[in-house]
Amino acid sequence: MPLPRSPLHDQHEALGAKIVPFGGWEMPLSYPEGTLAEHRACRSGAVVFDVSHLGTVRVTGAGAFATLQRSFTNDLGRITPGRAQYTHLLDDADASVLDDIIVWWADEETFDVMPNASNTAGVLEALRLEAMPEAGSTEALDVTSSRAILAVQGPEARRMLGQIWPDAAAVNRFNVVDLRWHDVACRVAGTGYTGEDGVEVAVPSEAAPALWQALLSAGIIPAGLGARDTLRLEAGLPLHGHELGPGITPLQAGLGWVVAWDKPNFRGRKALDAERQAGVARKLRAILAESRRPPRAGQAVLHDGAIVGELTSGNYSPTLECGIALGFLVPGIEIGNTVEIDQRGQLVPARVVKPPFVHRPT
Amino acid sequence: MHFPDELRYSSDHEWVRRDGSRIRMGITDYAQDALGDIVFIQLPDVGAVVATGTAFSEVESTKSVSDVYAPVAGTVVAVNEKLIDEPQCLNEDPYGEGWICLIEPQDADEMTGLLDSDAYRALVDE
Repeated sequence: MPLPRSPLHDQHEALGAKIVPFGGWEMPLSYPEGTLAEHRACRSGAVVFDVSHLGTVRVTGAGAFATLQRSFTNDLGRITPGRAQYTHLLDDADASVLDDIIVWWADEETFDVMPNASNTAGVLEALRLEAMPEAGSTEALDVTSSRAILAVQGPEARRMLGQIWPDAAAVNRFNVVDLRWHDVACRVAGTGYTGEDGVEVAVPSEAAPALWQALLSAGIIPAGLGARDTLRLEAGLPLHGHELGPGITPLQAGLGWVVAWDKPNFRGRKALDAERQAGVARKLRAILAESRRPPRAGQAVLHDGAIVGELTSGNYSPTLECGIALGFLVPGIEIGNTVEIDQRGQLVPARVVKPPFVHRPT
Repeated sequence: MHFPDELRYSSDHEWVRRDGSRIRMGITDYAQDALGDIVFIQLPDVGAVVATGTAFSEVESTKSVSDVYAPVAGTVVAVNEKLIDEPQCLNEDPYGEGWICLIEPQDADEMTGLLDSDAYRALVDE
């Protein structure tokens, strides 16, 4: 079966993008300028990513709020309609992070739950299992194929987007607003995955090519998923399948803030409570290498000659011009400690640092 | 994609050029394009004696690592140290500034057994 394609596939091909399988989709890895140039454009100007491979599960009804509260770790009671929240779906048995999710709370009884591409079916299944009929009816519908999602990111993102669509450029961080672009109903959120300011736009598939072209005409540079990965790594953000996934809990990943312990219950709570009591066996750490050689997932980390952990992501940081990585280390290794990364037999000196590697200019 | 006629090519995507009694080598335009932005090279060791097909250098891009193989047997006599700080030369000018090393070949005629530009182009067009 051919892999699903973004509604912008033809635009990517026309730009000469390298298209690769990604999360079960065919998506652009990079455009002819290349990953490094696209990365730098996002740190200095404005870029647009096609992230249509992300899922959208639309959860509606009187019972939607209660169902999501019971399914996910974070507390929607901390926000209001018109806001977005980062949250986790846990495995009920061992508190593994089955998916990390952004919820766009559009209006009182409408939530757009945005899982990672390949986890959409699992999220739908969990929502069905955790449904709270006593709170009212809840409908969960996979609407992924009905829309494209464009992420406009970078220090100049709002200014450049404002030239063609001022209302969208004015959507504040973690706000969610329904807007029209030339009479097309869109949903815009002040979210992203680059460590830069910007917005993400859900636009109906049939209108996506016109919006994409308008963004490029405004001087916004197309960027592929290769740059998105180096940007999120510099920002110290976890990627499901690397820093989150089977066997990895929010506490190990240093994301305890995503867990609302004062909620009455949520999926995976029992197992997570037990780990909280016992203490975590490993912790996600940010590691800055002295060499420009890109560290890679799976490479061992050593301290005083002994293996103390393993990398889950690594690459060359275009901003810092050296290797950066995330990995799980034993609890005794702290920020400031020196370690070594075994890069294909070569031991490269490195240091445990406090993430992010690259701070957003203020 | 550009494959100069005056070069010879290996099926592992290295190019070679006769340079006096020596052989200059690097990676092809096809290889650099497939790798994407190259950010690191582990150069061969000067003085290393290599057999044809030995993995003797590594290039890493933002997406992957790839071995570079000796296209002919011989001794590595010089390496392009500029690539240590400017590995992007491998992308920007693979047949010029992006050369990797000079090899003193055991058999000066070995390179004639490599692919010519037409045969290499046919290989990568497959």
